[in-house]
Amino acid sequence: MFDRFDIFFVQQLVNGFSVGLVYALVAIGFTLIFGVLNVVNFAHGEIYMIGAYAGLMALIFLAPPWVALLLIVLAAGIVAGVLLERAAFKPFRRFRDEASLKSKAMRESTLLSSLAVSIIVREATEKIFGADMRPIPRAYANALQEPILIGELAVASGQLVILGAAIVMFLTLQFILFRTQIGLSIRAVAANPLGAQYVGVNVDRTVIATFAIGSGMGAVAGILIGLYQGTIFPAMGFAPGVKAFVAMVMGGLNSIPGAVICAIFLGVSEAVATEFFAQGWADLVAYLFLVLTLIFFPTGLFGAGRERV
Amino acid sequence: MSAVLEVRDLAVRMGAQTILHGISLDVPAGGIVTVLGSNGVGKTTLMRALSGVYRATSGTIRLLGEDITALPSHAIVRRGLAQAPEGRQIFGAMTVAENLRLGAIGEADQALLERILTLFPILRERYRQRAGSLSGGEQQMLCVGRAMMARPKLLLMDEPSLGLAPKLVKQIFDLVATIRADGTPVLLVEQNARAALRVADHAYVMDGGRIVLEGPARELAEDERVKAAYLGGHAHA
Ligand SMILES: Nc1ncnc2c1ncn2[C@@H]1O[C@H](COP(=O)(O)OP(=O)(O)O)[C@@H](O)[C@H]1O
Ligand SMILES: [Mg+2]
Repeated sequence: MFDRFDIFFVQQLVNGFSVGLVYALVAIGFTLIFGVLNVVNFAHGEIYMIGAYAGLMALIFLAPPWVALLLIVLAAGIVAGVLLERAAFKPFRRFRDEASLKSKAMRESTLLSSLAVSIIVREATEKIFGADMRPIPRAYANALQEPILIGELAVASGQLVILGAAIVMFLTLQFILFRTQIGLSIRAVAANPLGAQYVGVNVDRTVIATFAIGSGMGAVAGILIGLYQGTIFPAMGFAPGVKAFVAMVMGGLNSIPGAVICAIFLGVSEAVATEFFAQGWADLVAYLFLVLTLIFFPTGLFGAGRERV
Repeated sequence: MSAVLEVRDLAVRMGAQTILHGISLDVPAGGIVTVLGSNGVGKTTLMRALSGVYRATSGTIRLLGEDITALPSHAIVRRGLAQAPEGRQIFGAMTVAENLRLGAIGEADQALLERILTLFPILRERYRQRAGSLSGGEQQMLCVGRAMMARPKLLLMDEPSLGLAPKLVKQIFDLVATIRADGTPVLLVEQNARAALRVADHAYVMDGGRIVLEGPARELAEDERVKAAYLGGHAHA
């Protein structure tokens, strides 16, 4: 049905799709937090890295079954996200008057505080675990490299795990946002923080919940990619962080479906680019998309008029 | 009559600027009290401080005898003080249904929802539409309906008639009377002094962050200073 080239090409699309799903999981947390606080969380990539290390520790010391592993990483991400919020974001939220809410200096301070936390966490991880790549225990890594043939197409078992985990998380997130009280609160704060205060939403608790949800998803993305690629390292959060940021901007800054679609599109485009260019150049795709989006679609591809979050 | 709301010497400072200099006012049970004043005298700042959106620098706010001065906004709503704020502050990207749901505390009360949808038929008609697609008057109805969903023991309304067509303005003031008849006292901030004095029992006049005049609404409506400054000196007052 396909000649060799086509099979290889389709294979690349599948690989790109898997990576794109991971970007999407990271981008969702980014977008949620941006939607609610209106600031970029620079430490989101480190949450992803923490997820990978928490997963690695669990594998080495507990060797849990797959589902338990993902739940442990989810919990680690939630704890890390809540601590991050308390350390880097909460201190700047006690200023309630409009002048500081609208002030640029206030937003920049919050940006810098999350950047500071990200540097501290990354450096601390290097101190504790070393800066090198650490391999995932072979038994686990191998289990995710099992080829599964679909016709002539070979899909790694890990790609199916990523797909399954991503779908479960997307659906859970939609359920939380649209069917629960806390989801309603998150959407209310994202839509109108002042209005949310008037209807009695506990804004502080809502922000914490947002960090918990976004960080839990980011951490799971970290262990998924670690398992899939077989290694983890302290700076691993940077590249997916940049790509998730690009997906968020392309998606219109405040649209979760937009960010997910753009993240997958980005992952696939990178995979296709490696067909034609050397690997190093493929990383430029994200920056190219960012620049093109900012020039031609300043409100994003899915941005204008949509509900925030 | 015991007071639902007692404000004593409330001051609010924003940065270097003091906006409220010691406001004292009462809302009695079952009453409609109005606060009048021109643009920029601090009416909205007062309303925000009462809802816990701004912090009081000094002074006390008591709701049904309880000191709520230091409580966060969500705790104040939970204790029964709801507000239809200036600028409406609805959730434009969400549906009318979701806006009303957000107004409720805990489980939405179906009988109350039914009462509100009967009071505002337009909200029933537009129940599943984005709130942002409603007209200004409809958004004001939604804003008031949303506040009523909290089953408030005191309802604050900040310039509900602002920017509405005359027919809608009349509807809003009729609504204030209806809400009181349902048993909920109302603290109403207005620039439309004539209509506000007609519906209210008691009135306060603010200027420069202070209360400069107070009295029964009927008396203030006849007060020469009020007539000159706020009733525009129209012959048909
Ligand atoms: N968050 C704030 N920061 C600084 N100044 C404010 C703030 N809110 C209101 N003010 C100022 O306080 C004064 C009173 O405003 P406001 O309470 O909105 O008046 P009103 O509702 O009576 O028109 C105005 O001079 C306004 O500029
Ligand atoms: Mg005002």
